Amino acid sequence: MTTRQRLDLLARAYPRLFPRVELQRLLRTQLGAIDALDGWIQRDGGRVRARAPKIIYHICAGNLAVSAWTSLAQGLLLGARNVMKLPGEREDATTTREILAFIRGLPAALRRLVETHRAIDDKLFAQADVIVAFGSDATMESLRTRTRWDQKFIAHGHAVSLLWITDPDRLTMRQAGACAVDVLTYDQLGCLSPQAIYIPARTDILLLGGKLSAALEKEWVKIPSKPARPLSVTARISEARDIALAMGHRLWLPPKKHFGWTVIHDPSPTFRPSPLHGVIYLRQATEAQLRAALSPIAHRISTVGMVGKTSSRLESLFLSLGVSRFCAAGHMQFPPLTWHHDGHAPLAEMVTWVDAEPSA
Amino acid sequence: MLLQPDFSQPASRRAWTRRLLAPLDDAAWEELAGELFAWQFARVPAYRRLSLGHGVRPRNLSSWREIPAMPQQLFKLENLFSHGELKPGAIYETSGTTTGQPGRQHLLHTDIYRAISTEGARRAGLFAGEPQLHFLTPSPAEAPHSSLGAMFGFWQRASRQSGPRFWARKGSFHFDNFRKTLLAHVKAGHPIAVSGTAFSFVHLLEAWEGLPPLRLPKGSWLLETGGFKGRSREVPKAELYAGMSRLFTVPDQAIWNEYGMSELSSQAYARGTSGLHQTPPWARVLVCDPATGREVRIGQRGLVRWIDLANTDSVLALQTLDLAERTATGFRLIGRMAKTEPRGCSLSAEDLAARPTPAIPAH
Repeated sequence: MTTRQRLDLLARAYPRLFPRVELQRLLRTQLGAIDALDGWIQRDGGRVRARAPKIIYHICAGNLAVSAWTSLAQGLLLGARNVMKLPGEREDATTTREILAFIRGLPAALRRLVETHRAIDDKLFAQADVIVAFGSDATMESLRTRTRWDQKFIAHGHAVSLLWITDPDRLTMRQAGACAVDVLTYDQLGCLSPQAIYIPARTDILLLGGKLSAALEKEWVKIPSKPARPLSVTARISEARDIALAMGHRLWLPPKKHFGWTVIHDPSPTFRPSPLHGVIYLRQATEAQLRAALSPIAHRISTVGMVGKTSSRLESLFLSLGVSRFCAAGHMQFPPLTWHHDGHAPLAEMVTWVDAEPSA
Repeated sequence: MLLQPDFSQPASRRAWTRRLLAPLDDAAWEELAGELFAWQFARVPAYRRLSLGHGVRPRNLSSWREIPAMPQQLFKLENLFSHGELKPGAIYETSGTTTGQPGRQHLLHTDIYRAISTEGARRAGLFAGEPQLHFLTPSPAEAPHSSLGAMFGFWQRASRQSGPRFWARKGSFHFDNFRKTLLAHVKAGHPIAVSGTAFSFVHLLEAWEGLPPLRLPKGSWLLETGGFKGRSREVPKAELYAGMSRLFTVPDQAIWNEYGMSELSSQAYARGTSGLHQTPPWARVLVCDPATGREVRIGQRGLVRWIDLANTDSVLALQTLDLAERTATGFRLIGRMAKTEPRGCSLSAEDLAARPTPAIPAH
C-alpha cells in the first residue's frame, strides 16, 4: 500500500479529524513530498527517499484519546506496525473506550496495522524502532530508561497552556465565547487546555468575570454529551470553590451551582494548576510580573491562546519561557496536523533517510 | 446560660476539656459545636469568609451538620490560628507531599491536644493492660513540629514509662537496639505496644527479614498510621498487616490503624485489616457527597468531613479528600482520593511540586 492509499483511507474514515488536505500538507512539510516513502524524490541536486519505522510503540495517556488518535494516524501514514499500550486500569476507562472505537472505525487495511495491549509487551517494546509516549513526567523518565540508544523516543510529558487577553475591558462576547471553547473542550483535561487566563493588572475584573461566565454557561449548555462529574471530580471542584471563598477571592458560579465551570479571580499572578474540569483562574500580571509568575511552569507551557494583538516584547517573554505554540483564542484545542507537538516534527523524527548522490 | 468560652484563657480551656470528656448527648454536642463555631467564626477571617459564602452564621445555625468545613488544603495557604496575634505554643506541620508546601496547625497550648489525644487512645482501649509503649518515630524533642510525635510523647508521659521509647533518631531507625529492648520485655512477659507510620513498619519488616519472629505477650498490639503519602512505594494494607502479624506473632485484631492528621486534635481508630473507624465522643465524621455537601447514605462512598470539638485553636470542621464508605456504626476508610484521578500530560499541583524550578534565561 502506498502512502497516498493510506492517506486516502484515513481521510475517508475520519474526514473531520484528518482532512485530506491537512494530511497532504503534513507529509509535504515534514517529509518534503507525499511520496517520499514510496520512491526517490529530488532534493538539493540529489535524490532522497524516506524509510518508515517498522514498529512504532505508542504509550497512551489516560486523560484524552485525541493524542492517541493523532499519534496512531501518523504511524498509519508511515505504514508502520502500530502497537498501542492502552491507558492503565486505574485511569479513566472512557479514554480507552474512545481509542478502541477509533481503531474499530478504521478501514480493515489500516486496522491490520494496529494492535493494542493493556500492559507493555516487553518483546515488542524492545523491537520497536520508535516509542511515542504520552503521560506524566515519571512515566517518561521510566520509559526513557528502558529505551535503547538506537530506538527513537518521542516523549510528551507534562505541559500546561494558558490564555492571554491583551485588552480585557474591551473583550467582545465573541472573544469570550472563544475563551470558553478553549476552557471547556475536552473538559480541560489536555495539555492544550488553558488552566489560567492572564490579564493586565488594570482590568475591570467584575466586567470580565461576568462576560466569561456568561460565555462559559452558553458554551456548556451547547455541549451535547456533558462530561462526567464523579465524586473525584466534584470533590476537586468543590475544594477549589471553597478555597476561593475562604481566601476571599472573587468567584463566578453557574446557575444552580452546577459543576460544569467555575471562574475564580486569584489576585496572585503566580501560576498554580487548576483542578481542571472547567475551573479557570483569572490572574492579573504586568508584563514585568509575568516572568516570575510563570517561572514555575517555564519550559512546560505548550500553548498560549491570545485575544488581541500582543507586543513583540511579550512574545519574546513567552518564547524565553519555552512556549511552543501561539494561536488565537478558540483554537487552542484544535491545532493543525502540522503542529509541532511539544516542538516535535513527528513524521520527520520517525523516519530515516536514504541518499542517492549524483553519479560522477 | 453558659458563658461563652474564651480559649485564650487556661481556665476556659480546662473547663472546655472537662465538658468534652463528660458524657455527651446530642443536645450537649450541638451546644458545644455551636459555641466553638461562633468563637472561630469571630476570630478566623478565612473561616468567616467561607461560612458567609455558604450563607451560614452562628446565629442562623440550626444544626451542627450545617457547620461549613474548611478544605484541608487551606492550612497550606492561610494561617487559621484562632488567637490572632498571640504566640502559638506549638506549630505542627503536615508532610507537604501534595503541593510541596506544608500545612500548619497552630495551637495556643498543647493542653487540650494532650488531654484529648491521650484520653481518645485510652477510650479506644489502647492502654488496657499497661503495655510497654514504643514508637518508630522521632521523639517530640527531635521533631517538635510533628503532631504525631507530640501525641506519642503525651502517651509516653501518661504511661510514666522511662527508657528509650522513640526508635527513629537523626534520620535513621535504630532497629537493632529496639529488638534487644523488645526481647527483654518479651522475656519479662510485659505486653508491648509498637506504634509508627505504615512506612516505618515496612522498613522494620525489611530490616528484620530472615530474623525469627518475636512472640509478643498477650495484650500486645501494633498501631500504624499515616499511610504512604509521598513515599516511593506502597504496600497494600492486607499485605502490610499480614507481615506485621507474622513478625510480632499477633492476631490481625491486635493491629490498629490510627486515622488523624496534623490539622486536627482528635483521632479515629480501627482494628484489623477490615476494621471500621470509630471516633471518640467529642469528634464526629460525616461521609459527604461533595456535589451536595450532604452526608451520603449508609453503604455509599463520600469524602471524610471531620467535626472535632477539641480543635479549638483553628477550625472545628475539616473537609478532607479522604474517601470513605459510610457504615451504620462508623466509616470504612478507603484512602486518599487523589489516587483515583485520571492522569495524563496535563500538569497537576502534585506534578508541579515534584519538579525542580527550571532556570529561565534572562530576558
